[in-house]
Amino acid sequence: MNCKICSTLFQEFLEKSLCEELIAEMDDHMQACRKCRTSLRTYKLTIMLSQQADPPCCVRPETVDRLKKILLQRFFAKEDVKIKV
Amino acid sequence: MVKKRDKQSDADLVREIKRGDARAMEEIVKRYSNKVYNLAYHLTRDSAAAEEIMQDVFLTVISKIGTLTNEEYFSTWLYRVTTNAAYGFLRKEKKFSEQTPVENIDQEVQPSYDWSDLPDDVLLSEESKEVLRKSIDALPEAMRTVVIMKDMEGLKNEEIAEALGMSVPAVKSRLHRGRLILRDLLAGYFRKKYTNHSGDDE
Repeated sequence: MNCKICSTLFQEFLEKSLCEELIAEMDDHMQACRKCRTSLRTYKLTIMLSQQADPPCCVRPETVDRLKKILLQRFFAKEDVKIKV
Repeated sequence: MVKKRDKQSDADLVREIKRGDARAMEEIVKRYSNKVYNLAYHLTRDSAAAEEIMQDVFLTVISKIGTLTNEEYFSTWLYRVTTNAAYGFLRKEKKFSEQTPVENIDQEVQPSYDWSDLPDDVLLSEESKEVLRKSIDALPEAMRTVVIMKDMEGLKNEEIAEALGMSVPAVKSRLHRGRLILRDLLAGYFRKKYTNHSGDDE
């Protein structure tokens, strides 16, 4: 394992989709390589920050109510042109 | 016995919508309106546009649900309709561009500054988040969409691939490269803010 391969595998490593042999190789490499340890830590932090950068927003309830009304009107208008299965 | 709406699978609800059941449509709106709105908002950064897109998306559900042959893929189909509508808006506003060819970006961008030991209140400050949001918005479109769908909306690689009409390896590649670019931009920001060096001494 070298730094380039190690870095390429970060995503799979974090998603736990690597085989055991590769995980062991990465662990061995990172124990010896400070640059890759740092690299993985900052990669993980980048993901974490992205997850927290923009908290989920909610649609305004009145918007959803208006949407439902429009959809119901459209839905019943379509009834005579019943959707083909 | 009829299952309660909120216990029904998406696929069951979709089959009922196809049979003309308006209540099933209401349940789908309840389940997905926030998800569709969030995805549209993160792609466009425009709350009014996100509301409009959400409405168009559900109108498309009504008019095109018959074309969805496998009901199990409803959510993926919905995300595809949403991303297409958001792209349509961005094109109209001339905000959609493929700034940097994805292939030209180095796969192995090494961090230039170790910011992993910074305290949480620094990492998670509003300013850091703002830097990251702007950095995400500045990514080439192909990477930006994938990063938003995966890291902000929490979709699976397979869902993103299906929604964007690309392979899972292509999604993973864009995601990885996008994250590397973001990490590098964050490193630059933290270095500038929390050290005295100018950046040419490493």
